[in-house]
Amino acid sequence: MLKTGAHRPCFALIRHFKALRRLSTAAPEPSEQTRQKYEAARKSVTDLRRIYPEFLPDPKIEFRNPIREKLERSDMIARRANIEIPEFYVGSILAVTLSDPHTPGKFNRFVGICIKREGCGLRSTFILRNVIDHQGIEILYELYDPTIKSIEVLRLEKRLDGELLYLRDALPEYSTFDPNMEVEILPEGAPVPVNDIKVKLKPRPWVDRWERKHLKGVQDLELPQRFYDKAKEVDTPWEKYDLMKQYMRTIPEEEQHEIFSELQTHLHKSGVTQKVKRKRTFVKPTKLA
Amino acid sequence: MALALSTTVKLLEDKLLSLTISCMSVRERHKLNPPPKLRNPTWFTQKNRVSFTDPLTTENQEFLKEVVQDQCNNISSEKPKDLDVVWRPGLQRTGVIARKIGIYPMWLKNGKKISTTLLQVLDNQVIKYYTPESYNPPRPRAGRVSNRKGCLLLGAEQGDPSEFTREYCGIFKDSGVIPKKTLARFFVSPDAALPPGTSISALHFCVGNYVDVRGLTIDRGFQGVMKRHGFKGMPASHGVTKTHRRGGNIGGGGEKGRVWPGTKMPGHMGNRYRILRALKIWRINTKYNVLYVSGQNIPGATNSIVYIYDTKVVTKRHTEPVPFPTYWGGEEVPENIYDKELHEFGEPSIVFKEQ
Repeated sequence: MLKTGAHRPCFALIRHFKALRRLSTAAPEPSEQTRQKYEAARKSVTDLRRIYPEFLPDPKIEFRNPIREKLERSDMIARRANIEIPEFYVGSILAVTLSDPHTPGKFNRFVGICIKREGCGLRSTFILRNVIDHQGIEILYELYDPTIKSIEVLRLEKRLDGELLYLRDALPEYSTFDPNMEVEILPEGAPVPVNDIKVKLKPRPWVDRWERKHLKGVQDLELPQRFYDKAKEVDTPWEKYDLMKQYMRTIPEEEQHEIFSELQTHLHKSGVTQKVKRKRTFVKPTKLA
Repeated sequence: MALALSTTVKLLEDKLLSLTISCMSVRERHKLNPPPKLRNPTWFTQKNRVSFTDPLTTENQEFLKEVVQDQCNNISSEKPKDLDVVWRPGLQRTGVIARKIGIYPMWLKNGKKISTTLLQVLDNQVIKYYTPESYNPPRPRAGRVSNRKGCLLLGAEQGDPSEFTREYCGIFKDSGVIPKKTLARFFVSPDAALPPGTSISALHFCVGNYVDVRGLTIDRGFQGVMKRHGFKGMPASHGVTKTHRRGGNIGGGGEKGRVWPGTKMPGHMGNRYRILRALKIWRINTKYNVLYVSGQNIPGATNSIVYIYDTKVVTKRHTEPVPFPTYWGGEEVPENIYDKELHEFGEPSIVFKEQ
């Protein structure tokens, strides 16, 4: 019973895809040039959705409204005209300067590794983590908060996982960064490097059951076998085949195209080019912790 | 003899009649709340007709669409010449029908974050005005009312007239307005009456005004006390069995040995009209007719219809003149109007000065 219920929407979706494919084939054969152009545009959309993930609205259908999304985007673009919000990923090291009325000098600069990035639109946030004086510090920043004076990317890189919340349970040296760190520049046109470091976690107790999270960036967890057995029991490996779930969790590509073409026209208009400093210099690691 | 008998019979009949009357009358009926009269307002009619495909050619269908479109374009709302009442405290203006389209944060100039709800004022148009004398409410107010209000019937959201019933379209007959999907009535002072066909925009309100917003809360069905009234429930462990989310005791003993009226218990939650009062308007978008109103707990789900009124809260009523009876347009307005305290997203970052 459950199986049929779960499969029916999938079939509907597949049919939908098929219809789309048929439509695309039924259209007159496009010339090589237009196809190339289309491919380029498609590629740029894929690029943009990685650089500007917060421009995609919440895919929850009950929260969506086209006019609200349009107004929200225009506000985001207006804010971006006043502050350079750079391309960064979970695992990049950032420095954020914030206006704070209670700090002497009225500015507060914090350097840390981005361990989480979430939310969409004006409410998108990211968390920076660092260990200062043997004390782990995490600060949640709002990306479009006007009290943020500047966001600098000191080291642009990705990690093996989408969230690095396990750094809370890792040894402190993995989340210790020099507050006076200099910007590392990558060569022009280079892809974003992936740091495949494997983190060593402290023994339990932890803030979460990390053995259930399919983490790639951690060393062997050294747990008794029963933990892995339980993790296997509660695992849902079929979810990645649930097309309907995937469809409901994402924004269709046609809509993305509309959103990012709007953004692109703005980027062209304001003369913002992708000036990403991508030249990596070798920096001798210093032992801090 | 016969006469005497007949008189006694009549007397008995009278007595019996009086007895039945005294039995029917209920003591102290005048003191109790009268039961509501089961009569709906005149505009509560069947709205949507049974859908069936009309045997119309495509040309005719297009022609019908054109007719509707033409009528849409013909409506103009200009200020009638005889309306020159100046606003004064105590006058009640009309409210508007709006749609709750979402929530997003804004920041003040002092760096504080506020949540704002976006209310899109729909294409409101006046359909009918009932004078205080002609309006016959389903539940008349008890006692003498000193300043009686008229009733303004407003419609919003352009609909396809062919989808509505004949009776529903009849409501709009004399107004010159094309049938609307949503109707609402607002009580107004007779001075604030508007002629039929007048359209009302978001600029009916000013930035800095306070409004009350009425909406239908989300229907949550039958809920327990923890969700419905925010009870704490009971512990998960320490020997607690079968009472983790229950309300616990509902009354004492002795003289109070009964369940008191109004005791909070499980029951149906939501799906009732609620008003959130005194919400500040922080910003108005004139292009899309959107009001940015403080708060993120406005009753109703996103994309649901809400009704906006000038606030009734005494300390938040407007003291300065507002567009009266409504905003008539004509002047150039910027796309976004902001409150003085609000930080605009196009402004440079907030920097605090050292003292």
